[in-house]
Amino acid sequence: MKLFEFQAKELFQAVGIPTPKGYVLESADDIGTAIEKTGLPCIVKAQVLTGGRGKAGLIRKADTRAQLESHVQDLFDPTRKIKRLLIEEAIDIDREIYLSLTVDPVKAKLIFLACAEGGVDIEELAAKHPEKIITRSVDIDQGLMDYQITNLLFDLGIVGDIAKQARSVISGLYKTFRAHDAELAEINPLFITKQGALVAGDGKFIIDDNSLMRQPKFQLAREYFDSCIEFEAATEGIPYLQFDGDIGLLCAGAGLTTTVYDLINDAGGKVANYLEFGGANYKRAMKAMELCLKNNLKVILVVTFGTIARADVMAQGLVEAIQALKPTVPIVPCIRGTNEEEATRILKEAGLEPLFDTEEAVLKAVAIAAGRSK
Amino acid sequence: MSVFIDKTTLVEVQGVTGKEGSFWTKHMVDLGTKVTFGVTPGKEGQSVEGVPVYHTVARGLREHKADAAMLFVPPRFTKDAVYEALDGGIRKIVTIADGIPLHEMIQIRQAAKSCGAMVIGGNTSGVISPGQAMMGFFPYWIERVYKPGRIGVMTRSGSLTNEVTAEVVKGGFGVSSLIGIGGDSVPLTRFAEMLPAFQADPDTDAVVIIGELGGSMEEEVAEAMEAKIFTKPLVAFIGGRTAPEGKRMGHAGAIATGGTGTVAGKHKALTRAGALVASKPSLVGPLLREALHIK
Repeated sequence: MKLFEFQAKELFQAVGIPTPKGYVLESADDIGTAIEKTGLPCIVKAQVLTGGRGKAGLIRKADTRAQLESHVQDLFDPTRKIKRLLIEEAIDIDREIYLSLTVDPVKAKLIFLACAEGGVDIEELAAKHPEKIITRSVDIDQGLMDYQITNLLFDLGIVGDIAKQARSVISGLYKTFRAHDAELAEINPLFITKQGALVAGDGKFIIDDNSLMRQPKFQLAREYFDSCIEFEAATEGIPYLQFDGDIGLLCAGAGLTTTVYDLINDAGGKVANYLEFGGANYKRAMKAMELCLKNNLKVILVVTFGTIARADVMAQGLVEAIQALKPTVPIVPCIRGTNEEEATRILKEAGLEPLFDTEEAVLKAVAIAAGRSK
Repeated sequence: MSVFIDKTTLVEVQGVTGKEGSFWTKHMVDLGTKVTFGVTPGKEGQSVEGVPVYHTVARGLREHKADAAMLFVPPRFTKDAVYEALDGGIRKIVTIADGIPLHEMIQIRQAAKSCGAMVIGGNTSGVISPGQAMMGFFPYWIERVYKPGRIGVMTRSGSLTNEVTAEVVKGGFGVSSLIGIGGDSVPLTRFAEMLPAFQADPDTDAVVIIGELGGSMEEEVAEAMEAKIFTKPLVAFIGGRTAPEGKRMGHAGAIATGGTGTVAGKHKALTRAGALVASKPSLVGPLLREALHIK
């Protein structure tokens, strides 16, 4: 789960990482309170989960109250669907550093990544000058050790009075990363102010989805998802991704569904939604179909090849879902795996035409969507 | 011979009395797997399909031997169960758990590396040497998928494995050993770490890897091929070629970000190393025939 910037900064503050004075604005009526807190000039930052906010005009500077009011009004325009703005004091920046902590799946360690030149173009810099990216592995059982911080500091060229602050930022980042089961904690940029202080300019924090059950502070909510269907699917525990085509996928298995997605694109079709009802969800064809039908579809393609997710159970579920929900678009079923003979019989009895070859099923669905077949 | 497990491997099963545990233990035994004992705290004295149950691994090991541990244990108890098996001296472990917390996966992998153990999973169907033995759950009775033969398979997926392996069989081959590496972002054992075993296995002529977007495991395979650690023919199918960047396609590990983990990058690396990459599952059989010079 990717957190909003203001949430990441709350986590930072809790471990003593300095952040700019800020106010989370949920209504234009509170502008006065925001200015009291941050002063002018200030920075207005839309709280959205997409990257590249600066380039998209979602981060703006306001020198006067009138300017702030105009930015707030524009960013709160209902078409933008932005719910919150983070208003922050403007910082007098001397330079920007990059600092992040993530996991290294090969070495089985946590790994700090740092760069003396932080900012928006860090990915480009990392690609062109990988030697400028400083890395330091940390043993997760041993924990972060002093010499590792010392190495990071000297490699970053941080010496003198500011080093003590930097030590506390690095150890704070490690502490909150471990405490909140993070897969990524990133401060980019980490400002060094003209007054010689460190301040986290931005915050990116991703909590491991598999650990959410032990992070009660962070639960699924509508605002973390792009669409209502994606949120509904997530609360149901059904993997779902929204696309904008007209072929609905009702598949099983992440790898197989992803492959079907590729095959449809290759054949010139367009996927409306990625949906898996395999694994623990194999008895839930009804709910899966219900989600699928919220899209404007021309055809529904069902591809499975399950083991525990028995073919006969999935076929039966599919038939029951069709009877209850009466989809008006054709269904192309390709259901294989455990008890597939019985599945075939069930599908035929319900008047469906079962297929056994994924690529054939994909071509058929694409032809139906294109109006070349029924 | 085979990779990881064969009909002589002695297996203990943790979580043996659970619904999936007991059901698949029966299938493991039916296929020929030597299951010596099972473990469920509080259930010592019971038996599952003729397999005696003990409270703990240590208590089972007083009466029986085990070379390998099969874990039918929920994700939040998996770390404990792996450490229990390692503590008992077991150095081959398979966990099917889907949803192990990320930091615990790092700890498990670290612990396994430090004592030279191999833990396979999570989020996998397990491992199978068709016709001999399995740890996990595979529909081994479906002949058009799990036919014994001389092709090694490694995979990050479950259903897609059935799909692609069926194409291996359709191409006129069968499977020597199939290793389900799993779909998590921190697989406890990685593709490249299994390659030496396939290289050494006289019953494996070639290897098929079923990869997907995200991570760097396919690139590591390419490196192992370039370093001549693996010199047998290798055919790859990689899912998610058309997936948009930044979308997580089902599996925790299936996401490409910042230009890394893309299928295009993996395809390029593997091709440069001499592997043949299939653009769709039905090409896997023909490419294997090409790689093995079979007309």
